[in-house]
Amino acid sequence: MQPIADGGVLSPWEPGVFTLIVYSVLVLAFIVSQLFLASWLGEKKPGREKSRPYECGIIPTGTARLRYPVPFYLVAIFFLIFDVEGAYIFTWAVIYEDVGWPGWMQMSFFIVLLLIGLFYIWKHGGLDWRAAHKVN
Amino acid sequence: MEGGTQGKLSDRFLGAADVVINWSRKYSLWPLFFGLSCCFVEEATAFTARYDIARFGAEVLRPSPRQADLLIVSGTVFKKIAPVVLRLYEQMPEPKWVISMGSCSNSGGMYDVYSVVQGVDQILPVDVYIPGCPPRPEAVLQGLVMLQEKIVATERPSRKVFHLGGGTQGTDRPVLVDGLTKARDSRGPGYEGTPLRGSSVTPPSFFGSRADVMWTPPARRIELTSRDQSLASVMEERFGSAVRQVPETSDMMAFHVDESRFKDVLRFLKTEAEPKYRRLDDLTAIDESARRDRVWSTGFAGAVSDVGAAGRFGEKAPSSDPNPDFTLVYHLLSFDAASRLRIEVGVSGESPVARSITDIWPSANWYEREVFDMFGIGFEGHPNLRRILMPHDWEGHPLRKSYPGRATEMPPYTFADAQRRQPLDAGIALRADHKMADDEEKLVLNIGPHHVSTHGLLRCIVSLDGEEITGLDLDIGYHHRGVEKIGERQTWHQFIPYCARVDYLAGAANDLPYVLAVEALADIKVPERAQTIRVLLSELFRLSNHLVWFATFAHDLGAMTPNFYAFAEREMILDIVELITGGRLHPSWFRLGGVAADLPEGWKEAVDALVSIFPRRLREYESLISKNPIFQARTEGVGPISLEDAMDWGVTGPNLRACGLEWDLRKKFPYSGYERFEFDVPTAAGGDCYSRYLVRVEEMRQSLRIIEQAAANMPSGRHVTDDYRFVVPKRADMLKDIESLIHHFVNVTRGPGIPRGEAYVSCEIPRGEQGYYVVSDGLGCAYRMRIRGPGFANVQAIPLMASGASIADLIAIIGSVDYILPDIDR
Repeated sequence: MQPIADGGVLSPWEPGVFTLIVYSVLVLAFIVSQLFLASWLGEKKPGREKSRPYECGIIPTGTARLRYPVPFYLVAIFFLIFDVEGAYIFTWAVIYEDVGWPGWMQMSFFIVLLLIGLFYIWKHGGLDWRAAHKVN
Repeated sequence: MEGGTQGKLSDRFLGAADVVINWSRKYSLWPLFFGLSCCFVEEATAFTARYDIARFGAEVLRPSPRQADLLIVSGTVFKKIAPVVLRLYEQMPEPKWVISMGSCSNSGGMYDVYSVVQGVDQILPVDVYIPGCPPRPEAVLQGLVMLQEKIVATERPSRKVFHLGGGTQGTDRPVLVDGLTKARDSRGPGYEGTPLRGSSVTPPSFFGSRADVMWTPPARRIELTSRDQSLASVMEERFGSAVRQVPETSDMMAFHVDESRFKDVLRFLKTEAEPKYRRLDDLTAIDESARRDRVWSTGFAGAVSDVGAAGRFGEKAPSSDPNPDFTLVYHLLSFDAASRLRIEVGVSGESPVARSITDIWPSANWYEREVFDMFGIGFEGHPNLRRILMPHDWEGHPLRKSYPGRATEMPPYTFADAQRRQPLDAGIALRADHKMADDEEKLVLNIGPHHVSTHGLLRCIVSLDGEEITGLDLDIGYHHRGVEKIGERQTWHQFIPYCARVDYLAGAANDLPYVLAVEALADIKVPERAQTIRVLLSELFRLSNHLVWFATFAHDLGAMTPNFYAFAEREMILDIVELITGGRLHPSWFRLGGVAADLPEGWKEAVDALVSIFPRRLREYESLISKNPIFQARTEGVGPISLEDAMDWGVTGPNLRACGLEWDLRKKFPYSGYERFEFDVPTAAGGDCYSRYLVRVEEMRQSLRIIEQAAANMPSGRHVTDDYRFVVPKRADMLKDIESLIHHFVNVTRGPGIPRGEAYVSCEIPRGEQGYYVVSDGLGCAYRMRIRGPGFANVQAIPLMASGASIADLIAIIGSVDYILPDIDR
């Protein structure tokens, strides 16, 4: 079937920006309405006890804003690195046939490099939660 | 009227909205995962397969008050926990409802005692009261339905929901005030100034006690073994007149020791004596001020021997005080010889001080703190002497005879008290315990008292470096029900119902050490049939307890399924218990001299059905958990304790056997006919969480063997002794002959007078060794009722197991130790 409009911008038959905009507006409106209803509907009785952090029924001691031990950051960074690299690999998988053998070689090199990094961290105890903790 | 049509329209809209909102709320109530004591077990049971409260629209217990709108106050509201209860309620979002479950929460129930709030409605508004002690799971369902009816019938929430002013929703009843809108007096209002019945015969006055006009035979005497005799002569040689053997006792060899030498004596007994008394079984005190003759007569019975004894002390030991104000009592245990020993030390003064023995037995730490808390006796050299059971800002020492026993003798606990009397700050507690340096900056976290994984009102205060625990202080006493004080005012028979509530998952198994102790003192003979019935019930409760432990332990480690399975078999066991006793959690079934009634028809078929079905089920459970790699990774090598430490810290029960020691009181000090049964004592090596798991699972098999044998070889004969001096006679006899009728009348009304003396008996209940130390002054109620709970010692050793562990490990350790709060705090 031929498209009716030539421009295609407002065409319901071709993927275009218009449908995306409509979709986004609907989603946004839905989210806003839900948030509004949830915050407006119902009775609120704010109070000192209610706004206090819940800690098993006891008044909390000290602050929760402490210097976090380094291993937490390490784990976060490792996660980030390997997660982002996952994104590269997925993209490559989509165009796997287009990039052919050179692409395969490049990606293999990339993955091997990642694995070397992983083994390096492993060997140095970066994945060993308790030991890394002790070292730091 | 102008705008009438419009008003009507909006009213109709609001009316329709009311109906819709109420309907939605009614079937989606979210109860808070919150339990105080026994009642919570029945509440939780209402969520399991047989009762399935989800059918009524309250499916999942929420762990945080932020996600909950229904607070079921299930159990005893203690003064120490009341501020926490109030805070949890206030932290719940609007609208919210409150169900008060069980007699304790409704009115204080059978715990009219200094540490208990006489009704949660004094600090919180309550919608529905569920009566019972504890109410059955069906009663929880009924309570929920009543709340739903209340929501539909009385609440008009839409005006509040749309901010239009007016309308009603949630709990809007006022908090009740004693004397104005409620009466704490269980007899109802208008009895002020009239003392409670029976209070005249309690300490300190004993006015009107008729125990003296009844003749009773002297207390039982035991023959000392040759080993005891030789130890006694060694002691006399070594310590001279500082040590004086108590000439006649009912349970074990005992010595009076001067305060100046008692530490040397204890150290000698632990390290050098033959046999060595390795374990401090129990440490407690007696306030001697209300002794009727104020003569140091513990261990004697009858006026004649008293005079003799007093004379003896006067001659042989002029330095020692024959009339001390307090007696410190140390019970020691020898593993090698399987024998016990009692050391009594007198101290005097308004706030006396004795030497601490924490350097001999580390486990003495908590025991001495308890004595300090309850009696006001100081301990020189104790690392951290502060209150342990009572709140840190409490005044007075409750187990002193001059201290009032009843809550109704004290001013009522009010809403203002619950706001003001906050638990001790976590940082202060850690620093007081030297678990954290003053300038250290750590994340301080309270795990409990209200926490899903602490299995009751235990507060673990941890300081954390990342996830690793650097300091752990356990704050107990949130479940202190003052049962030892109650023991001093209830008659010997009246006290039995309190026993089962000391460890509410072990039911009748709790009654056993108490009745055995009184029977040892008064020399009551128990017929063989009664003994076997007692064994049968004790083992049924061991099974039921271990099933709950199995389910909750697995649950702590992330496995939900066992909960639903294990509670099914537990119901089967409770059905048998109900068939025999009429009760579920707290049968109060054992009596002095036997049990309350004979076995009913059909008991054997029910037990046989369990015996035939259970092994297969147990294999099923094991196949779920035992080889599960996640479970093993979470438990193997986690929370280990060495055998040395376990003995030193007084760890008992499966936790001790998991360290590799074959030590079971049923074998070592056979009682109630256990010597007639064939069973093994399972042990494991390693002392870690996994070993504790293995031991308990195997114990279930052994319990089943005992149950099988008890059912197969149930002796014929009487269920209660035929010597009715101290016991409640069989009903048939009571209706037939005048002698039994008189005994029945006396023993049921004012209760029997138990001969003067003392006895300590300890039994292997599911969680370890529970001991009762009963001291009688010849009256109708105990002079001192001491309960040695296994949890107290087991839990004291948790910081040892958890040192350097992560938070997740702590949860595994807590689950594997299997403690229960009422037996720690009593």
